Amino acid sequence: MSCHVVREHASAGPAILTLRAHPLRIALVGQPNVGKSVVFGRLTGRYVTVSNYPGTTVAITKGRALVGAEVCDIIDTPGVNALEGTVSEDERITREVLASNGADLVVQVADARNLRRALMLTAQIAAFGKPVVLALNMIDEAFARGISINARDLSAELGIPVVETVAVDGQGLAELRAAMAHGAVPHAPSDRTPLERAAWANELTQRVRLTSTLSLSRIPELLARVTRRPLTGLPILAVVLYVLYLFVGVFGAQTLVKLLEDGLFGRGINPAAIWLADRFIPIPFVRDFLVGQYGLITMGLTYAIAIVLPVVATFFLMFGFLEDSGYIPRLAIFCDRIFRVMGLNGKAVLPMVLGLGCDTMATMTTRILGTPKERLIAILLLALGIPCSAQLAVILGILGGVSPAALMTLFAVVLGQMFLVGWLAARVLKGERSEFIMELPPIRWPRPGNLITKTRLRVWWYLGEAVPLFLAGTVLLFVLDRLGALVWISRAGEPIVTGLLGLPAATAQILVMGFLRRDYGAAGLFQLAHNGQLTGVQAVVALTVMTLFVPCVANFLIMVRERGLRVGLAIVAVITPVAVFTGAGLNYVLHALDVHF
Amino acid sequence: MSCTLLTFTSKAVPLSSLSVGAHALVSGVADPAAGRVERLLALGITAGAVVTMLQTFPGVVFFCDQTELAVERAVADAILVRPMEDVR
Repeated sequence: MSCHVVREHASAGPAILTLRAHPLRIALVGQPNVGKSVVFGRLTGRYVTVSNYPGTTVAITKGRALVGAEVCDIIDTPGVNALEGTVSEDERITREVLASNGADLVVQVADARNLRRALMLTAQIAAFGKPVVLALNMIDEAFARGISINARDLSAELGIPVVETVAVDGQGLAELRAAMAHGAVPHAPSDRTPLERAAWANELTQRVRLTSTLSLSRIPELLARVTRRPLTGLPILAVVLYVLYLFVGVFGAQTLVKLLEDGLFGRGINPAAIWLADRFIPIPFVRDFLVGQYGLITMGLTYAIAIVLPVVATFFLMFGFLEDSGYIPRLAIFCDRIFRVMGLNGKAVLPMVLGLGCDTMATMTTRILGTPKERLIAILLLALGIPCSAQLAVILGILGGVSPAALMTLFAVVLGQMFLVGWLAARVLKGERSEFIMELPPIRWPRPGNLITKTRLRVWWYLGEAVPLFLAGTVLLFVLDRLGALVWISRAGEPIVTGLLGLPAATAQILVMGFLRRDYGAAGLFQLAHNGQLTGVQAVVALTVMTLFVPCVANFLIMVRERGLRVGLAIVAVITPVAVFTGAGLNYVLHALDVHF
Repeated sequence: MSCTLLTFTSKAVPLSSLSVGAHALVSGVADPAAGRVERLLALGITAGAVVTMLQTFPGVVFFCDQTELAVERAVADAILVRPMEDVR
């Protein structure tokens, strides 16, 4: 490794403990997908989501780390290709950290394979006048591609410590910590024109980098090729979706749900809770509150743990695998043309696919898109059509038991509706789309450790996020039921629910719950279907309406935070009638064609 | 790749006209639409960069240094390159 570089600088003088008004703030800055979040995790011991695609981090994360004898604040920033000129929203966040004096030291994390680009960024970082340390990360992958870099010469040229690291293995991290005391403003032409800086980066790279034609990464290269060519890529996509369906839709939504719902809750927890309540709780009101029809345990907990959790967990596991493999961004190539009709470009595939995990998180990921118009359309379409994992759970659980045709109908209607709304939005909204220019991450074999950590944290997050809302929703239902309001809601909703949509009156209250969290509403449908109260057609119509609703309160709040209250309300005002009328239209067509699923 | 094996044809052509597997040297970006030059520069597409064409349909995909980039056709039309010919 590059200990020599560190030692050379160390001889310049011992690090002195200084008295500071605040802890030393160290910002990790670098191009997207170079491993800043991995370095962050290694330095602070805090895990932040790590994936293999540009744009995983779209907000700032802070953590504490011991560097030498000092406790420092480490700041993980969104990846940047440029710090000047027109930048996307996530890049602006990073620029503000540097410009607003939010950092005392910059650790530039670079992909060792792309030294030239890294140096172009170094020159821009130098303009902020902060001391910099350069970490050449993924040096192992560079080596596998026949690239070696003379870190000592590079360090001498730039006048800053240069450390070679393999952050995922923790290699070079001790050297990086040691080097932090010796950061300096890089000797880089920060005041020149972009083109002159590019020429400088080019020239310097050629001096310190050795490239041989040796390549040890044949299999990833082959996979990279077959996943992006239409002839092989589209069949691979079909296989991926089918495996996803088998793992999440069949194993998760059917096998595991059955095990938990009928087994654990049906025969274990619920009977035990009811028995205990009957024995020890003399007040019928409290008994009902816990184990009645709208009971906290018999409804709230059963929905959250037995119906939704298995699917969410299996989905997150499979999804994490796809994220870390670098596969998802490749879909952008196939989607670009379709998305263009909706005023977006292929890059939007990232937030859209992430929405399948959680629409709320995906709404934040829209920051990677180029223009305000694109972000607005993407947020709208996420809220409108992309079912999150929890909701997918219920869709697969209900329609998997009905027929594949029912499932296809639902997806066709929802996708068609997204396409239509996107097409209209692209024409109605002012602003421009940006050109499709996207970096594709290399295909990698996911690391089991990261996969497990990520899935575990996401499942915990789901439990923390959804279970309280499920319970709150159950309490609300219970109260409404006691006040006699449920009957009233059912009656008020009758013209729409039974009239327009052709659904049983009991669905009205479920649709109301769908406003709170659409997976919660969908879980209600699951029970109706389970009890044989829904026909196939009714299930498809009800789920279509529910899918088209705004996902949940959290998603609404994020929309407001990202785009303002006016836009948030406007999105809800557009989506709700679209959902209801699409359901009505679908109900009409299915009946007119006399379809039975 | 070393220069002894390659010679440059003098004429600049759009990147989109390269066939799969062809190498070329970027000479510039024509038609500077809003932010296009900037964005490409940030990704390393600048005069003197070596590119290798990987795929031309449905999107244009090419290697620049060690970066695999996908762009729409209009962008690939605007990137001017001088093809390198293998004379070995």
